[in-house]
Amino acid sequence: MVKAYSQEHTYKHPWERVTSASWRKFADPENKHTLSHILQVDTLNHKLEPESGKLYTTRAITIHAPGPWFLRKIVGQDICHCVESTVVDAKTRSMQLATKNISLEKYIEVEEKIRYDPHPENPNEWTICRQETRIRIKPLSTLASMAEKIEQKCVEKFQQNSAKGRQVMERMCKYLEAESSSRGISV
Amino acid sequence: MGFIRRNSSSSSTNTSPCADLRTAYHNCFNRWYSEKFLKGHWDKEECVAEWEKYKECLSKHLEDKNLSRFLEAEGLSRIPASSSK
Repeated sequence: MVKAYSQEHTYKHPWERVTSASWRKFADPENKHTLSHILQVDTLNHKLEPESGKLYTTRAITIHAPGPWFLRKIVGQDICHCVESTVVDAKTRSMQLATKNISLEKYIEVEEKIRYDPHPENPNEWTICRQETRIRIKPLSTLASMAEKIEQKCVEKFQQNSAKGRQVMERMCKYLEAESSSRGISV
Repeated sequence: MGFIRRNSSSSSTNTSPCADLRTAYHNCFNRWYSEKFLKGHWDKEECVAEWEKYKECLSKHLEDKNLSRFLEAEGLSRIPASSSK
């Protein structure tokens, strides 16, 4: 059982500002309330390739994912760790993020891929965000009949959270825009 | 029934002792990313001292085995997002 969906969103902000916002969205205290399911973000590793202008980063994202009580009972925890790998190519102006869960993977696999590229219609002013999410519930005999319902719930939850994520991104972009105009830094 | 209280021990990776070092590093990184990296100054890494302190703290407090292997991992480009284990 696999559920997959994709979304597209245009930010009316330049790529530089949108990718800066993407790095900051979890850390900003203003966003803590909206993104209350994000408990912690740690950078685990990073690498800069000076010749190519590519930046590789791995971060750990700790998510509070409360499910129905019976699920919590089976799973034994409501905290989920995800690993996010990011590649930013400054030369071609692309940012790619891939996030997957590394805990609870016996029960569920969630993989999310996000790409930020300059918008083809207005590459210097706008950014296009393409997002793909795949959710796969592992069929367990005891859960098989419930699994599909849970899967649907997961999809709904993810869509709610990615809508929140977009709100936060828009807010961060506005904030960075205001900051850059007051400091004369163009991001 | 089914009350499971959330407490700090439910998280196997409580890295909050590193919160201050994390903030210092992330602030430095965000500044470097916006003001240097995006402007084509990607020849030199910055925030090295902040990173070293933060990483040292993380490696002490990261108990989750799955996560700590990423701390040790070199050559990040070889971690394809699609490989499972």
